[in-house]
Amino acid sequence: MPVPTLTNPVRVQSPSTSPATDPILSARNVFKTYRLDRVEVPVLKGASIEVPAGAWVAILGASGSGKSTLMHLLGGLDRPDRDKGEVHFDGRMLSSMSASELDRYRNVSVGFVFQFYHLLPELSVIENALIPAMVLHGRLGFSRRRAELTAHADALLKSFGLGHRLTHRPAQLSGGERQRVAIARALVNDPPVLLADEPTGNLDRHTGEAILDLITRHRAETGRTLVMVTHDPEVAGRADRIVRLEDGRVAG
Amino acid sequence: MYQSLLTRRYLTSKLMPLLAALAVMLCSAMVLITWSIMGGFLVKFLDVGRNTDGDVIISWPTAGFAHYEELITMLEKDPMVQAAAPCIESWGMLALPDDRLVVVKIRGIDGRYASVSGFRDSLWWRPIDEPLPKDAERLDPRLTNHRLFEQTLADGLALKKKDPETGRLEPAVILGIEAAGFSRRMEAGYYEIPPTSILARPSKGDMESGRRLSPFICDHSVVINVLPLTSGGRDIKVASRKLPVANEFRTGVFEADQKSVLMDLGELQRMLKLDRGEALGVRGSNPYELGAENGREQAARREVVGAAEARVTNIFVKGKGGAEGDINALRDRCESVYRQFEARFKGQVPTPDAMERAKGIGTWEQNYAMFIGAVKKEIAMVLGLLMFISFVAVFLVLAIFWAMVSEKTKDVGILRAIGASRAGIAWLWLRYGMALGVVGTILGLAASFLIVRNINPIHEWLGRAFGVVIWDPRVYYFTELPNQVETHKAAIVAAGGLVFSVLGALIPALRAATYDPVKSLRFE
Repeated sequence: MPVPTLTNPVRVQSPSTSPATDPILSARNVFKTYRLDRVEVPVLKGASIEVPAGAWVAILGASGSGKSTLMHLLGGLDRPDRDKGEVHFDGRMLSSMSASELDRYRNVSVGFVFQFYHLLPELSVIENALIPAMVLHGRLGFSRRRAELTAHADALLKSFGLGHRLTHRPAQLSGGERQRVAIARALVNDPPVLLADEPTGNLDRHTGEAILDLITRHRAETGRTLVMVTHDPEVAGRADRIVRLEDGRVAG
Repeated sequence: MYQSLLTRRYLTSKLMPLLAALAVMLCSAMVLITWSIMGGFLVKFLDVGRNTDGDVIISWPTAGFAHYEELITMLEKDPMVQAAAPCIESWGMLALPDDRLVVVKIRGIDGRYASVSGFRDSLWWRPIDEPLPKDAERLDPRLTNHRLFEQTLADGLALKKKDPETGRLEPAVILGIEAAGFSRRMEAGYYEIPPTSILARPSKGDMESGRRLSPFICDHSVVINVLPLTSGGRDIKVASRKLPVANEFRTGVFEADQKSVLMDLGELQRMLKLDRGEALGVRGSNPYELGAENGREQAARREVVGAAEARVTNIFVKGKGGAEGDINALRDRCESVYRQFEARFKGQVPTPDAMERAKGIGTWEQNYAMFIGAVKKEIAMVLGLLMFISFVAVFLVLAIFWAMVSEKTKDVGILRAIGASRAGIAWLWLRYGMALGVVGTILGLAASFLIVRNINPIHEWLGRAFGVVIWDPRVYYFTELPNQVETHKAAIVAAGGLVFSVLGALIPALRAATYDPVKSLRFE
């Protein structure tokens, strides 16, 4: 399978249900400490994880175990403590990337799905889904490819059952629909890796199941690498591999 | 791309940015309205000055200078000079038919004055075919009675009027239209003839014949009183003359329209003893002699020693090239011509040195330099103060943007999570500030344009509704407020509004750009 690179990401074409062996994303012995006023709160205490290309890895842990922090580090949203751990994507250390390379990494190499959807309330469904494409292509590039990119986002949303909601605002959608828009947004630039932080955590069981079914189906079609943070063992059970996080360390 | 989309959406979905736009709008409007009116005031004054005094004025006040016709001939031979006209300027008392006495500036002019000034256009009572822009009901009496007004125009230009009894042409005066109160200015801009005049409600027959059944403005006579002085500054005797009113003039400068009178040059020369006559002087070189009765030394008797040339106090010179001509070069040329003139009439006319000391040759701008300078400084000071006040808008925009950036912290986190750069986030907010500036400035310019264009009706309405007279023509020279917005001023104000908006948005934009994406996503 061709591995997308930072500068020239390629779409994941070959569907795969079995994990590949090459790690596309990895964290090695990472530490992360937050400072609350004058108190230092260590969240990650030497966690390590390897995510093979095409695999679905679930990071399972209780609240406060550091799983979301680990995902933020994997997604380049945050950095490990200085000289305390490394995060690699496709063989390249994230901390060696410049700010603009890291921005591009978040734009084209990974797609985030959050527990609370995090949609932009002023934009319609289709506009929310297109935002990463706008960031990627810039004004001129987007204008030139507007029709193509809009058709792509449109197809994605329709495949998620949102064809009738394209012009609606997030406030007019149900929780499940919002999460489907967030997934479409995460996928619109066809990143090789999808990072989902408790994607069903804010949904009722039935809706959560539907979202997981959607993710499972999509992954089966595209073979995209998926890292999913969850506290629910049942949700984690759908993954190819489960990484348990306890007190900032990988337990197994 | 996402910046323009979000800017549009933020602009249309929130009240707060509209408040910032409102602040920019008010500041832009405040500056542009003030600048337009005060600047218009100056422009109007300059126009009147240019149209009243020609381009260059050669003057020797009170005593005047002789041989002016020769000087005019010499000036008009110069290729830079289009025309020159003589004039006498003096102060006098105007006695009106209702026994009021008014101190006025009297100008004695002849037909040549029209060739160096806007005199012809300033004559008010003339036939017109098109009503004034605001006279929708065509109430201006000049629209009818054309035969009568053709005569008043001809009388005004000639500064003479036919005596109804003798049929002879007599010297006449032209009053500033606000001087006597013979007519009343209406909101639409025309002057209403009092109801005592038949012309106020003319019958068809009257209109066609121009027959008048009761006094019209130009049927009045006024008494002009002047005080002739000797060249040594001593008075001779008050000269009074009752003269018919040939017409009225309107410059638009209230001061001039209220306190100026134009009259026939020859007549004023005679009244001020500046006409050609006998020259009085002392024979011999000793200015003193022994009194015949008491044998004491006393001033020598003055007696006729020769002929005195007619004199004028001013010569107005109009250069070729109109308003675009170089009036300073014209002034230099006039000085050169005057030196030749003085060489020809040495001892009979002021020397060039005396002229220079008295600033006797100057452009019309130099003549009004003190006033123009004061007005320019006043405008600069007021604009400076307004700009300073407008700077408050920067802080207003800053405060509103600060609050908005705080409110939109999560949006910043989301955008950063999907790959937006810090510069992109900063540009989003700067662009937003710019958009607010554009909206606020456009609204401000539109409001300024509407207000300035309609400033006179607004002012009149304020006067009617609240009894507030902000612009008193007795104080502010002009009878109407300037109502033009100049493009370059609008452009400068627009640029200022934009810069202020961007400045106000700058700090919040930088703050948004430095937000930690993880903390932003967790922001509640």
